[in-house]
Amino acid sequence: MPINIAMVSDFFHPNIGGVENHIYMLSVELIKRGHKVIVITHSHPPDRVGIRWLVPGVKVYHVPFPTIASSATLPNFLTFLPYLRNILLREHIHIVHGHASLSSLAHEAVMHAHLMGVRTCFTDHSLFGFDDAAGILTNKLLEGALRNVDAVICVSHTGRENTVLRAALSPSRVYVIPNAVVAERFTPPEVPQTTDIITIVVISRLAYRKGVDLLVATAPRICQKFPQVRFLIGGDGPKVVELHQMREKYLLQDRIELLGSVRHGDVPSVLQQGSIFLNTSLTEAFGIGILEAACAGLYVVSTKVGGVPEVLPSEMISFALPEEDDVVSAISEAVQIVTDGRHDPAAAHNRIRTFYNWPRIAARTEKVYSDIQSTEPIDLITRMQRVLSLGPFFGPIQLAILVVDCIFFLVLEWWYPRENIDYVKYDWDIQKFEKLYGLDRRNAGVVPFNLP
Amino acid sequence: MSEWQRVLWREQPFPDNYVPPSFLADLRLNSNFRPFTYWSLVGASGTLIQHICSISILLSIFIKLYTNQLDPRLLVLIITSTFIVGFALCEALSEEEERTLRETRAKVIKSCILVFLTLIALSPVLRTLTAPTSSDSIWALSAFLLFLCLVLADFRGPSAVRKRNESLQHVLSMNAGLAASIVLCSRLSDNLSVFALVLFSLELFGLFPIFRNQLKITSSVISHSLTLVFIVIAVALQASISALATITICSVLVFAMFCAPGLMIWAQQHKNEIRGPWDVAVPIVR
Repeated sequence: MPINIAMVSDFFHPNIGGVENHIYMLSVELIKRGHKVIVITHSHPPDRVGIRWLVPGVKVYHVPFPTIASSATLPNFLTFLPYLRNILLREHIHIVHGHASLSSLAHEAVMHAHLMGVRTCFTDHSLFGFDDAAGILTNKLLEGALRNVDAVICVSHTGRENTVLRAALSPSRVYVIPNAVVAERFTPPEVPQTTDIITIVVISRLAYRKGVDLLVATAPRICQKFPQVRFLIGGDGPKVVELHQMREKYLLQDRIELLGSVRHGDVPSVLQQGSIFLNTSLTEAFGIGILEAACAGLYVVSTKVGGVPEVLPSEMISFALPEEDDVVSAISEAVQIVTDGRHDPAAAHNRIRTFYNWPRIAARTEKVYSDIQSTEPIDLITRMQRVLSLGPFFGPIQLAILVVDCIFFLVLEWWYPRENIDYVKYDWDIQKFEKLYGLDRRNAGVVPFNLP
Repeated sequence: MSEWQRVLWREQPFPDNYVPPSFLADLRLNSNFRPFTYWSLVGASGTLIQHICSISILLSIFIKLYTNQLDPRLLVLIITSTFIVGFALCEALSEEEERTLRETRAKVIKSCILVFLTLIALSPVLRTLTAPTSSDSIWALSAFLLFLCLVLADFRGPSAVRKRNESLQHVLSMNAGLAASIVLCSRLSDNLSVFALVLFSLELFGLFPIFRNQLKITSSVISHSLTLVFIVIAVALQASISALATITICSVLVFAMFCAPGLMIWAQQHKNEIRGPWDVAVPIVR
């Protein structure tokens, strides 16, 4: 049975990133499966305001909230309710699906949805520690927001364990559904790479958490050990200076190429130039980068952190501990494998393509939605009890917010009655659109919005 | 039915919300847990006690200067002699070569003369600097600054001290202490008292921590006896001022020395350190 879904997150187009792409691709696939999907995010004045449409029929509501750092809005708890109520009611939404644990819009949508009788789902895309100030604060907010959620989705088993601990959830309510890639975009080069020159590709934000220190330490040793190896490093960030210094110190300008920041649309062409992909991250919930690289036929070398060990079968990846010597030996192993021709790019591509594809992910997400709808909604008294159990200090605060939220909702019902809402009567029909414009259904779906 | 595997790359005959028996197997709780013992904590409180005593001594010296009970010339004499004794001790304890010692000695003497002359020249300015501000504001401001000086001070153990990395926090603490004495000295009547008080706070907050850290590295016995000397001086000075002040300083010291370690041990039972594969790894680079 088709259902109406509202994806809510601070992170969406026109921003670019893993979460943004995930929401878009999931929405597109769910639309293809016959559901209706809208996206609620904050506005990007001056041009991205109000309601916009993205190909092939994703309706985006831009709520006029100002942003603070990194395109996230401030937690405001109550002021989102008038917008959300109108949107959910006029679009006849059944399920609210929040994304990203740093998005306060997603938290608040999950918190308000029960007032409109809408069920909730939340996807957590990242890992957080328990010992730093950011972790402690966001974990508490997450715990408060997810206390009454119907289901949570995590992108890896490690991410699931992390989220269960952070938000004090029952593990059976938490699902693991990985990310996927658009395999058509990440294809191996038609002419296979020669083994005379082996190119190691690195594409990552050049920051401490991405393990640039390890890269700086290992690259000169690898260059010395294997004269046929060259590096191709894409990305920008605070640590780019250290890479430049390393390159100058060891006179490796001709062997280590620094590309600067690479647009998302150009990533496939950069990947196609290499035969080994190196990821030195110190933490990673899923590691979409290594999946894209493996899909493009590269052999992957990665540090064994977070959810990375779960992503690829062992014959497509070499693991290293986050230690200089271990990374060097893992790269050496990879160079040997590639030189011997033991890695088949086409086979790797086909394997990824059959498993990590968006239709499959959408089907698994659909199963979560039907699980949610088969359970009884939580009644208000149970909600209050659960919220109160958050702690001696945070519990009463959240309870007060919940109660005020209910009262505010009643005020809104009186002030802006439901019958005055401008309900949506005609939805976008992708089939009709395709018939009229003769668009190939598959192409319309799979071309991501951020392609040039 | 095949066994569940912790992988994402293939379909498994389990639902997506299946809870495997190995769930949270990599979770480690309190892996770095090291229980404290009461007396080691009491011993470690020495640095804190010395700092509290320093602040108390500065305050009592100020009161004595303020009420003209203490001759500033005597104070300058005491400061100079303790400085020379302390410097000599520091030299005797340090493990550096004779030549480098001689070089640093020359440098120290030069900067001493410089500081001495600058302070003398500045003391009339310092005395009138905050003169128009009302005394109430001065007391409040100096209390706040001394509180900052206390909480920001560097109480770390000798292992951290040995690296000689002066943290920003420590520098802030020292500056707060100096600022407190500069604010206070505008209430004094003559320039020599101002000079003596600022010089004293320089020695107390600027030089003494260096000496204290040197002692901590070399000998714990001297370090502990120094703490004792500080307690005696602080309490004696307060006793000569008022009974209430004496009771206050005594109770603060008893609390910091004997109750705070107990509180610390009690608080340790609530320690809940969670570690697992999701933590940010620490790269090991040679």
